[in-house]
Amino acid sequence: MSSATKASRIGEELWKTRVDKVNAELVTLTYGTIVAQLCQDYDGNYQEVNKQLEKMGYNIGMRLIEDFLAKSNVGRCANFRETADMISKVGFRIFLNIAPTVTNWTSDNNQFSLIFDENPLADFVELPDDGRAQDELWFSNILCGVLRGALEMVQMQIEAHFVSDVLRGDDTTEMRVSLVRYIEDEMPPDEE
Amino acid sequence: MVVYSFYIFDRHAECIYKRRWLPRPASMVGSKSSRPTSEASAPGLPATLGQSARTTDDDAKLIFGTVFSLRNMARKLGGEDDNFVTYRTSQYKLHYYETPTNIKFVMLTDLKSPSMRVALQQIYINLYVEYVVKNPLSPAEHPGGIGVNNELFEESLEQFVTRVLS
Amino acid sequence: MTQPARHAAMLSISNGGPNAVAVDKQQSQHIHTQSQSSQGLRVPSNRKTIYDRHLNRSRSAELSRASFAFLFAEMVTYAQRRVTGIQDLERRLNEQGYPLGLRLLDLLYYRTMASSTSSSLSSSSTSAAPPNRPLRILPLLHLIHGPLWRLLFNRPADALEHSVSPETPNEYMITDNDPLVNTYISVPKEMSMLNCAAFVAGIIEGVCDGCGFEAKVTAHNQPTEMWPGRTIFLLRFGESVMEREKVLERAGVK
Repeated sequence: MSSATKASRIGEELWKTRVDKVNAELVTLTYGTIVAQLCQDYDGNYQEVNKQLEKMGYNIGMRLIEDFLAKSNVGRCANFRETADMISKVGFRIFLNIAPTVTNWTSDNNQFSLIFDENPLADFVELPDDGRAQDELWFSNILCGVLRGALEMVQMQIEAHFVSDVLRGDDTTEMRVSLVRYIEDEMPPDEE
Repeated sequence: MVVYSFYIFDRHAECIYKRRWLPRPASMVGSKSSRPTSEASAPGLPATLGQSARTTDDDAKLIFGTVFSLRNMARKLGGEDDNFVTYRTSQYKLHYYETPTNIKFVMLTDLKSPSMRVALQQIYINLYVEYVVKNPLSPAEHPGGIGVNNELFEESLEQFVTRVLS
Repeated sequence: MTQPARHAAMLSISNGGPNAVAVDKQQSQHIHTQSQSSQGLRVPSNRKTIYDRHLNRSRSAELSRASFAFLFAEMVTYAQRRVTGIQDLERRLNEQGYPLGLRLLDLLYYRTMASSTSSSLSSSSTSAAPPNRPLRILPLLHLIHGPLWRLLFNRPADALEHSVSPETPNEYMITDNDPLVNTYISVPKEMSMLNCAAFVAGIIEGVCDGCGFEAKVTAHNQPTEMWPGRTIFLLRFGESVMEREKVLERAGVK
């Protein structure tokens, strides 16, 4: 069985049996108010909003990975390709009930894309028609931070960013994920 | 069985939680056998284990150094996925559980205790993740233990150790 | 800040904000103008826009409770960085819930209109009241206690009470024995007054305001042995609302 199929099964099974649910609209609208609040606090400076969303996501990722591990009880991945399947088929399934497509691998197996056919965070959303938001705001940027935070906790430093978004008028919503390095264990502080 | 103490270390090698249960003196044990009384550890309290008067801070450092080395040795000899589960001395048993996020759970018990690996995993899944990780008022990481020692976590840990384990 | 001014301010944010709930007929006129002026926005060639998807498609969709908890946690953390104390934090959470209330009200109207007239807003009034905007306080409270709570938390609230004090006839209480938003929150002793359900209070306030009932809504801890997280949402309606209530009562409006 390929790691993708296996991951799919784990994800489906967990979603059905181990995940406490809430109304999707509560999550969607709550996320919407967070982004709206940031746009207000940063006075429409969308670059700053993107940055803040990524930071929030990073904080969430650091927590979320523990919930992921507690629920899934999966071990360490053998390689980055397996990690990608785990993210898409298990991670996104149990937290957002979607499974974005993993594709566009580089030959060194260190970079891939996630294509989102569905994005519950962006249901109900239309970007402001101010001539800038569609060029500057990555509405779902929190997801990039979530991946960075979550993977850092399992010793992978990655970089993630959106390259397209249907909210911007693109035909797809695509996130690019690159492995920077594996992180070494931190040593105990020197005995004084 | 008796649980002596419990520690959590984070990925920065810092002790973010410690708790010690003091066993009653033998004369007071009586009918309830060796059920531990629960007294939150206070730094500077003399250790009851052995004759030493080390502080719990010192204990935590020693324990971290020990499990860190043991775990590394286990991996060197047994492969990347190998890990040690427990070791015992003539005085106590140390139980170890490590998450893929490098959080380390350690429990010291008496020699009669069965394996605590599942118990430690349950503490991680049902107590740590639910009450520390998901608590908005706890920070995402816990320098100096901030946020781990919240009421929900401590009370449930207390219940788990005194009611479920003993 | 006066209530109406705040309402106006929030509406203008929701116009300019990135998260516009599609519009229904009952909403005010200027939102319509907004949706027409949005022809400047680019749309994907496959037309995956909010206008091409049914507003009810997510009606019974579910997401992970943990996802909500994590988002809410970040909202609280973010708010904490910018406040001076517990009251300030609760005010900020309230403000974040408020626009959600306005939007949810649209969604509730849309859905109670779309479904048959039998789905009355009030479970107690069997007089087949058409699911229109509530005119009196009681139907509004039933809308909150029932449909709003069900939409948000998949169950009705646990109690609805009117203040017994003759001093405060404008006060009503909605009880939730175990608020979802507080599931994972362990409040430290030095902050024991804090109730993060202030966010939900803000949602309620948005719904009230959106219906034209100026109100202040606050969340209070009222633990019992059985329900340690029990929370009372205290609704204080403004004077203008109480006066109108009297006029409507005399006119026989329900």
